[in-house]
Amino acid sequence: MVNRSLIVNGTVKSISLIALITLLLIMVSPFAIITFNAFKTEDELYAHGPLSLPQSLNFKNLRETWARVDYTTKLWNSLVISTAVAFLAIGVSLFNAYALGIGRVKGKAFLLVFFILAITLPQEVLAYPLYYFFKSVGLYNTRLAVILVFTVLHASYGTYLLTSVFSVFTRELIDAAMIDGCNKMQLLFRIVVPLSMPSLSVLFVFFFIWTWNEFFLPLVFLVSNAKQTVPLAAAVFQTQHETLLTPQSASAFLGVLPCIIFFILFQRTLTKGITVGAIK
Amino acid sequence: MLTKRWIATFVAVVAILSLLAACAPTPAAPTVAPPPTEAPTKAPAETPTQAPTAPPAEKRVFKVWHYEVGYAMGDSWADALEDFKATHPDVEVVFEEKTFEQIMETARMILSSADVPDAMEINKGNATAGLYSKEGLLTDLTEVAKERGWDQIMSPSIQTTCRYDEKGIMGSGKLYGVTTYGEFVMVYYNKDMFEEYGVEVPTSLEEFEAVCDKFVAEGITPLTLGALEMWPQTHNWQELLLYKADRDLITNYQLLQGEVDFHGPAFTFAAEKFAEHVQKGYYGPNANAVGYVDANAAFFQGKVPMNLTGSWAFGEFMKQIKDFDWGMFLMPGKKFNTGSGGNLWIVPQNAKNKDLAYDYIDLALAKKAQTVMANAGGIALNADVSQVTDPKVRELNELFATIVKNDGLAFYPDWPVPGYLDILGGCLQELIAGTKSPTEFNDCIAGPYNEYKASLE
Amino acid sequence: MAHKISSLSKGYVVFLLPGVFAFLLLIVFPFLANIGLSFTKWSGIGKPIWIGLANYDKAMGDSSFWASFKNNLLLIVAMTIIPTIIGLFLATFLFDYIVDKFGQGVSSFFRAGFYLPQIIPLVVAAIVWRWIYQPNWGALNGLLKSLGLDSLTRAWLGDHSTAMYAVMGMMVWFQIGYPLVIFMAALQRVDPELYEAAALDGASWLQKFFYITIHLIRPEIYVVVLTTAIHALKIFAPIYAMTRGGPGKATIVASYFSYQNFFERSNVGYGATIATVLTIIIILLTTVFIIVQTRREQ
Repeated sequence: MVNRSLIVNGTVKSISLIALITLLLIMVSPFAIITFNAFKTEDELYAHGPLSLPQSLNFKNLRETWARVDYTTKLWNSLVISTAVAFLAIGVSLFNAYALGIGRVKGKAFLLVFFILAITLPQEVLAYPLYYFFKSVGLYNTRLAVILVFTVLHASYGTYLLTSVFSVFTRELIDAAMIDGCNKMQLLFRIVVPLSMPSLSVLFVFFFIWTWNEFFLPLVFLVSNAKQTVPLAAAVFQTQHETLLTPQSASAFLGVLPCIIFFILFQRTLTKGITVGAIK
Repeated sequence: MLTKRWIATFVAVVAILSLLAACAPTPAAPTVAPPPTEAPTKAPAETPTQAPTAPPAEKRVFKVWHYEVGYAMGDSWADALEDFKATHPDVEVVFEEKTFEQIMETARMILSSADVPDAMEINKGNATAGLYSKEGLLTDLTEVAKERGWDQIMSPSIQTTCRYDEKGIMGSGKLYGVTTYGEFVMVYYNKDMFEEYGVEVPTSLEEFEAVCDKFVAEGITPLTLGALEMWPQTHNWQELLLYKADRDLITNYQLLQGEVDFHGPAFTFAAEKFAEHVQKGYYGPNANAVGYVDANAAFFQGKVPMNLTGSWAFGEFMKQIKDFDWGMFLMPGKKFNTGSGGNLWIVPQNAKNKDLAYDYIDLALAKKAQTVMANAGGIALNADVSQVTDPKVRELNELFATIVKNDGLAFYPDWPVPGYLDILGGCLQELIAGTKSPTEFNDCIAGPYNEYKASLE
Repeated sequence: MAHKISSLSKGYVVFLLPGVFAFLLLIVFPFLANIGLSFTKWSGIGKPIWIGLANYDKAMGDSSFWASFKNNLLLIVAMTIIPTIIGLFLATFLFDYIVDKFGQGVSSFFRAGFYLPQIIPLVVAAIVWRWIYQPNWGALNGLLKSLGLDSLTRAWLGDHSTAMYAVMGMMVWFQIGYPLVIFMAALQRVDPELYEAAALDGASWLQKFFYITIHLIRPEIYVVVLTTAIHALKIFAPIYAMTRGGPGKATIVASYFSYQNFFERSNVGYGATIATVLTIIIILLTTVFIIVQTRREQ
């Protein structure tokens, strides 16, 4: 009896692992394609098409594309903007959700809808009005304008998520805090924040990545090349008359690499969040 | 404890980043313009040191933008920029490479702001240059052009796309842009394949169809087409339209005047012929799913013998095709050909250094830069023919000169109406797929055209 | 004591001030401006001309506009329904089974892998998926051929009967990681003692899944469903980068139609109208959803 269940368990284990690995391979194959193509020479690309393995590691394509779009500057801009937005948006969301989810301010449903409004708007709606607004305050063509816009847009999502999470915190928690003699700020930072650390970590990763990958509004608000971000650089080779595959491949790879690195680094933070979150 | 540290770090990071973003001087845009020959591996662009300004004489900054880096036009303009730097040593030159999309979508915003360059490239046509000139965003260059002789270098038919009237329609009125090159559409063909299958360069539409039929019979797709991108097929279609069009039709169509009958003989012929070619298999079975880059790749690899596209790609073709002998011909047996003057150099109304812009345009139109353009595979207006080495390039420029001499430039079909490129391209995709008949196709393109025309009154 | 209680039960409004101010300035006023624009005819420069409700009349009768919504609904299937369901099962599977049998490291590894598509800018994803869908040498047709399924090969993006499904396929791939990560974070809040208690009572895996897991992470499920649905209604980048609404109009979505009017046809007034109607639909959906959610929590 025991032996059979062990064998069944073993088989189920293997099958589940194989199934997962297959699914995973499907999910990451596009990245493999991008990576292979970035290292091919022009001749290889044309001879064998974009879906073959490269003969060798060829860096010429990457180097040329890097220099041509001044990738270093674009990386720095994206980094500054994405990090600033991630922190600011979490801050705003935290405050909003604290008031709504824990403080149970009157008109909570109405206020939630008010904040969610930001993500219901298609971005085209914001382009012209914000263009005139930023121009009038001298913020057109600045990274600060982009930071402000995305802080607000992402805080909308963050407010919604955190309010949902905070709303199910039990009353006992708050009562316990009151007995201990906490004021509102202490309650927020000593109890609520540590408890919601997994959610906050997830939000940080999301906000960073979403901001990094934004294309449309940065295209509208960032005019000078010196202020532009990585996705805009990747789009250089999507011009209407672009005839070649190689710059397209190189820019695709350069466009994706930083986020992969970021995610690998912050994967660990997400995992660490586990131990802090237990409700006691 | 943990939380206090978190707050402190949080606040510090936010403060630092906001300060950086708002106040820190951004690294100055690179002043490197890529060299005219094939791009060798080059070091990342140098950043000019930002010297604190102590001397009273302010260094002037000349800002110039375009999106033709890597093409013959870009090579020639880079050469002109080097000449400019040599003749204006006291001026700091800031060049920025842009993208076609960014300029198309945000030109209005940029031109209305204070962040304008002194000279920039824009697309020609009513929907772009015409619109901007109507709203007073562009400097009127009529007088300057006369003074500096630009209107002598650009022939009248080339100037059609440089002049716009008060309604923003091209053809007449003040000169708002300067073009330094020409462009047209033709058929690039694989000479080796033609020889292998015993076909000759056609001299009439019937002969062209016979050539295509021969290839189809051998199981080869005759023409490559990247219809996924919407715009390539607009050229194939207009070339067919031009077999039955006359100068009046072209003028009325482009200038949104008079009567344009989308169900008249010319448009009916074009739609039916195009559908017929699709059905006979001239473009292969999957044209709608193939991108422009892929379509060209098929031609480079010698899989498809003919490629109807524009002279803008000539330079790239020169670099990419190594395995076979190739040539070009115009769609034979007609007077008109899709083509025009090139994109425009304009000087924004808000520009701070207009005189510098004029100096630069002088250099871009001068023989030296123009010859660079020709040798890189572009169609120059003012090149020194004796310096043009490649016989194919000479042939290219001669073809264009012939069209101009015969007053055959027929412009591009998406110009009259803003956003018409996707409309025309989309309707053509349906014609290719067979989901619309030729009559339905003509309805499809007539609607938006007439609607826009009506809205102008 | 009474004093302390009252200080914690009210006075939270001050925490809302920064958020409300920023939103008013950067979201609400532009939205109102957009509504104002929808009553005008404007090319983007110069003066807008007031035309009253003419744009709205046109929008109501515009078949392309309403047809584009059909594609948005298809995308709700591809971006909300399918990924949420897959995400729930995958998250539970990774969180319980895989952690038990293979350890935390393996589970995190898979989670990272499944989330990877979310990292890619959609503009870049479009390039790669175009290569995959290429009819002559693309990976999908190549795979089908090598499996002997030649008859199933198609011109995926060029055939109007498959184009939208091809886009949906890419969006499912793109979207799975998002619910997965959120649900896995949510599962960490669930007290394992609840499962043990239920197991002692004789509950099966499925019962535990429905009555404990799904019940306890319902806040996150609400968030995922609502946000992915809104995203599907607003979707723009994949259409812009992969098909531009083609072949013909087979893959046009509402937001892309609005963009065409704003930026390509210089029909800013009409574009603003389309965007306003779209926004109103989304707001209605959202309000209903949130009211339902808020009531259920009480």
